[in-house]
Amino acid sequence: MRASFVFSEVVTGLRRNVTMTIAMILTTAVSLAMLGGGLLAVRTIDKMKANFLAEVEVSISLVDQVSANDKNCSQQLCGSLRQSLQNNPGVESVVYENRDQAYQRFQKIFASQPELLELTGPEALPASLQVKLKDPDRSDAIIKQYTGQPGVRKVDDQKKFLDRVFNVFNGVRNIAFVMALIMAVAALLLIANTIQVSAFTRRTEVGIMRLVGATRWYTQLPFLLEAVVAGVVGAVLGTVFLLLTKLSFLDSVFTGEVFPQITTLEVLFPVAPILLAVSVVISAITGYVTLRLYVRH
Amino acid sequence: MIRLEEVSKVYKTSTRPALERVSVEVDKGEFVFLIGPSGSGKSTFLRLLLREEVPSKGRVMVSNFDVAKLARRRVPRLRQTIGCVFQDFRLLANKTVAENVAFALEVIGKPRPTIRKVVPEVLELVGLDGKADRLPNELSGGEQQRVAIARAFVNRPLVLLADEPTGNLDPDTSQDIMLLLERINRTGTTVLMATHDHSIVDSMRRRVVELQLGRVIRDDSRGVYGIGR
Repeated sequence: MRASFVFSEVVTGLRRNVTMTIAMILTTAVSLAMLGGGLLAVRTIDKMKANFLAEVEVSISLVDQVSANDKNCSQQLCGSLRQSLQNNPGVESVVYENRDQAYQRFQKIFASQPELLELTGPEALPASLQVKLKDPDRSDAIIKQYTGQPGVRKVDDQKKFLDRVFNVFNGVRNIAFVMALIMAVAALLLIANTIQVSAFTRRTEVGIMRLVGATRWYTQLPFLLEAVVAGVVGAVLGTVFLLLTKLSFLDSVFTGEVFPQITTLEVLFPVAPILLAVSVVISAITGYVTLRLYVRH
Repeated sequence: MIRLEEVSKVYKTSTRPALERVSVEVDKGEFVFLIGPSGSGKSTFLRLLLREEVPSKGRVMVSNFDVAKLARRRVPRLRQTIGCVFQDFRLLANKTVAENVAFALEVIGKPRPTIRKVVPEVLELVGLDGKADRLPNELSGGEQQRVAIARAFVNRPLVLLADEPTGNLDPDTSQDIMLLLERINRTGTTVLMATHDHSIVDSMRRRVVELQLGRVIRDDSRGVYGIGR
């Protein structure tokens, strides 16, 4: 196989059909950027799960009577609740937070909103038992067991809130994947069409090649490589799209405080190589199948 | 070199067979005219030899290749032993004369030094030395056909198939092309030429195989085109 010959054929082929080539590359790039976005969403969800699920607690807020009078959960009502929780095999630890501690935390959280702090006194906040579970997914049993017990005002599961956040991310991920799929279909059809047009414009050459006994590799590799080259360029462009999106938009949202940061390194590895591999494999397969179906040898 | 045994070819879209029980044997180094009116099966005959078509029945042998049974991946090998020339030259318009000839070697993976050596040789053989850097549209029809013959012959095929090679040329130029084909034939290459051209067939006095409606109706070892045509 003479590399220089095949390479020059590829370049001529792509240049001859430049509008289609551009369309093919752009569609591939957008499709891959979508796929990359989806992959980043998956990673972000995983990271958030790792960060937060370890921390989530079930918060059992207590009635006013306890909140007002019991500084350290020593009285009977709170004490028996705590004892019962500590004996529960699904519970890892129980911490009592009295009204003053709750107020301090409240002040810290809303430090930037003094109006709210002024309006809210410590008496508005309940004391609570912060329960850490061995398995955060099995909070339902605890919630059911303690809701309505004497001294309990309300049982809140932080995980339920986090689940809503995760649902948003999962939705974003699914949309990205669906869009990637739709664009991939468009890219696929464009690749197939480009190869057909390319094979048609070069039918004299291919005819001569067949007649003089060129092997399938010689006649078809240039077309196949055209598709693969477009796939590679598409993958590079897609990665650039992703990086630009990250720099211009995502970096201001994913600051690392609440949502974990998406690093440039993450985009370059493992996302970029995955996009490249997917692109090359899919464009090669598409090219091969198209040649099999439409181009006689 | 070429042997057809009871070969029939029926195209799906046609009711009449394109070839019917055709048996022809051509020895190495022979020069054979394949004549007959349009639709008599000349082109099908040539396409069968190249494995562009497979026979519906019968056996086609070219050199040691059992053409119909040849595995797909072995077809290029067969075609490398056959050179082809057509009425419409089929040159690549954007390549020079030398590049057109070199193309046939490049695409079968011949090393560059070999190509550089044999292309000028074959151009000299066909009488085109000095025109290596011209483009096809700067050449006359006869010269273009010479390029096509050079391309067909450059890999030293055992068989040269020519499908109406003089169909687009005036009588004088045709005569030159025939001289060239004769010269190639003298190197030991078997030449099989399909043609309509009475005067050429009559003047050459070579073997004539005549087809009509897909059947061989005549096979003369030193024939003429035909009487009363």
